[in-house]
Amino acid sequence: MTINMNHTITGRFHVLLGLVAALHSLTAFAATPIIEVEIKDHLFHPAEIVIPPNTKVKLLITNLDPTPEEFESYELNREKIINGNSKTVVFVGPLPPGEYPFFGEFHPKTAQGKVLVLSE
Amino acid sequence: MLISSVILILQETLEAVMVISILLAISYGQRRKITWLAWGLGVGTLLAYLYASHMSEISEWFDYVGQEVVNAFLQISISLVIIAYAWTLFKGPLANAQNQRAETHWGSGVGAFLAAGIVALAIAREGAEAVLYLGGYVQQSNFQSVMTGSFIGFSIGISVGILLLYGLLGLPDRWHLCAPVILLALIAGNMLSQATLQLTQADWISSTRPLWDTSAWLAENSVTGQLLYALIGYEATPSIIQIVSYIAGAALVMVFAALGKHNRPPIQDGFGQPVSDD
Repeated sequence: MTINMNHTITGRFHVLLGLVAALHSLTAFAATPIIEVEIKDHLFHPAEIVIPPNTKVKLLITNLDPTPEEFESYELNREKIINGNSKTVVFVGPLPPGEYPFFGEFHPKTAQGKVLVLSE
Repeated sequence: MLISSVILILQETLEAVMVISILLAISYGQRRKITWLAWGLGVGTLLAYLYASHMSEISEWFDYVGQEVVNAFLQISISLVIIAYAWTLFKGPLANAQNQRAETHWGSGVGAFLAAGIVALAIAREGAEAVLYLGGYVQQSNFQSVMTGSFIGFSIGISVGILLLYGLLGLPDRWHLCAPVILLALIAGNMLSQATLQLTQADWISSTRPLWDTSAWLAENSVTGQLLYALIGYEATPSIIQIVSYIAGAALVMVFAALGKHNRPPIQDGFGQPVSDD
């Protein structure tokens, strides 16, 4: 009986350890990589954003122009207005390796870029 | 510059124009008043202006995903109002040659209110985008060409709407109400699906791989792709949650329309009856 109880307690302790480990990995996972992008003179800087495969990243886009822009991508299924002289966040991924073009819908002639997902 | 203005304003116009055409087809088919349109346009324009002028603050809400949350809220609201509208649509006797005073029925008053709501919500989001786009060019030297392009885009949008309206009105009588309701169901599904996409972009819903990729077959940025996007929400690379929410939204509209029809007082069976002089 005593042995059995001990087993249960050890078992529970293991479960608890497992939970702590899981929580720890969750917090580690929550640290989404941040990539900064700037819009100036209706151009994206950098125009090519390289991200690792199967990873969610946070694009921190700052519009340095006084006029609004819209970040749009059919391939990424993303669409977001960034007002003049302000910043915003666009989450991208996790994505398989490939090329994902994006553009500024308000100035599509100049504002062009792409997300490159390169395999490690 | 001109051509990109045409395309952008056409895109922003199409969705609202199609919704308005479908609602107008229903109103004409049932010989109802169309005062809801004026209310919808007025309130929608006001909401669009308010949204555009507060875009900077709204964007900063919820750790910089306020825009997605507000858009998703607007889109979910459109779906819900369409569902309620579909329900009231079949409630109460339909107007026809024998019963021209259907607008006195409770269902049509509520229906008109809901129709105005759908139009206002549809204009708010796309209208805000158009306001910001045009506002950004006011001080620029090419403002005139942007305005010309926008006017052309807007006119094409209106023309598509008129074509759709007359197409719907020209349908055989038994389809007069069914066809618009089916289109409304697709719009409700599309809006719900778009809302999940916005919440995915905001990272409130976790991102999953697309279920399929039809971009090689029909690109989203092609003319057909854009038209299908506005009409039925065509998406080349949809995720599972987008597809599920699309089907759920569309199905709810059909179910509520059927429920409303089922509960209709047995005064007469107006459904499918000829509307005299159309």
